[in-house]
Amino acid sequence: MPVRAHSIWVIFLSFFIAYLLAIVPFPEWAMNYRPEWVPMVLIYWVMALPYRVGIGSAWAAGLLLDILEGSILGLNATALVIVAYVTLSLHLRLRMFSTLQQSGLVLALIGLNLILCNWLQIVTGQSVASNLMFLMAALTSAIIWPSLFQLLRQIRRGFDVH
Amino acid sequence: MFADNRFGYLQQVRFVLGYATTPVYWVADIPTRVSFWIDDVFVSRTDLLEENEGLRVELLEAQRELQLLESLTSENNRLRALNEATEFIGGEILSAEIINISPDPYSKRVLINKGARDGVFIGQALLDANGLMGQVDEVLPFTSWVLLITDSHHVIPVEVNRNGERALARGSRDAANQLELVFVTQTQDMRANDLLVSSGMGQVYPKNYPVAEIISVYSDPGQDFAIVKARPLAQLASTRHVMLIFAEEEVAVEPNLIPDLVPDAAFEEAPVVDRGEVGGSEVADSEVVESDSVAEIVPQVIDDQVSQLESEPIDQ
Repeated sequence: MPVRAHSIWVIFLSFFIAYLLAIVPFPEWAMNYRPEWVPMVLIYWVMALPYRVGIGSAWAAGLLLDILEGSILGLNATALVIVAYVTLSLHLRLRMFSTLQQSGLVLALIGLNLILCNWLQIVTGQSVASNLMFLMAALTSAIIWPSLFQLLRQIRRGFDVH
Repeated sequence: MFADNRFGYLQQVRFVLGYATTPVYWVADIPTRVSFWIDDVFVSRTDLLEENEGLRVELLEAQRELQLLESLTSENNRLRALNEATEFIGGEILSAEIINISPDPYSKRVLINKGARDGVFIGQALLDANGLMGQVDEVLPFTSWVLLITDSHHVIPVEVNRNGERALARGSRDAANQLELVFVTQTQDMRANDLLVSSGMGQVYPKNYPVAEIISVYSDPGQDFAIVKARPLAQLASTRHVMLIFAEEEVAVEPNLIPDLVPDAAFEEAPVVDRGEVGGSEVADSEVVESDSVAEIVPQVIDDQVSQLESEPIDQ
């Protein structure tokens, strides 16, 4: 029983920190390079514990992110649900991948997430996209992924989350 | 879902979820608060004395200007009463702090630490010490989002302080911290370094607060409109301490002082406001400016002086 309580606590805390990192103010020029922390943490948990963190959690996480970023409700939720679905269907393969391959897939997934968000923003008239620089966040995310993966793995094993 | 959001059915949901997000903002703001606290604690006595001295001088100057302002205000009121116009009564302000900025690089929004609990409402105007910053866009329980005047979706009705020419200032689409005046005809009298103040049309922003300074005017005879760029006076990127303005009550002056002028004034005021709000027909708007009655010009001049003075005490 205590183990179970622990596990939930750790997952929530990791998301909380991801939210913090997602909204910490950045200088103007670095805005496009901010790694997508919440989707990355989500990908990790879906991959590691697919029976615990799934599409429902992705939806909830996305709604919270929408409120935090002040974007239209359901924008990040929709994008994250799709990311979670793809991860869920690939999670067995993803675990077998080398770090580099994982990074490549994270690049694709975060890119998908960003394109979906951007597309939905344009459709709903929220954003004026001038160029494709917003995709740089996928690159920084992929670069950060290996260390984040190791960190979260250590935490998961340390706290015996399952 | 998106349709829901468009029509505002989910406003309540957002509001409730706002409770859940408050701790995140609070924690994210800790580093800034700690650094401010450190600044406050480790400040030397001489610095404090110097600052105190400086503030005292500023206060004296502000008080002197306030005395002048009072006489001008009463003079202005008398002239307005003669001219059958409405008068603004200065509103309350609530000081707030910017605690975050929008993570979306394409929108210019900031988060302030006052929300529904403090009586913030949608459309409320936000000021810093130098000028207008924006309007409240979304109210959460303890925080609210403010749309800055430089957002490319935002348009603010302004007038040139020098001559009262009206225009609409929109957030620039290419430069980060700039405004562009839209639908300015080639013949309108605007020059670089002109001060733009809010015109109070559109009924969102209070009148006569400084907004921006024109930095360049380019008129190409082949184009329909001149290209006018302006720099916002408020320090949108660096300030932390801001003010929210509470409803400036509009009080109509006794309607039967000069009966002859009543229909005229009422007739002329109304359509101008409409056009300013719609924002599509600035040409028609400028025609209205030209056809303004002579009686309008006198209070306009006084008005300008007041607004110049008004901007100073607020500065302090």
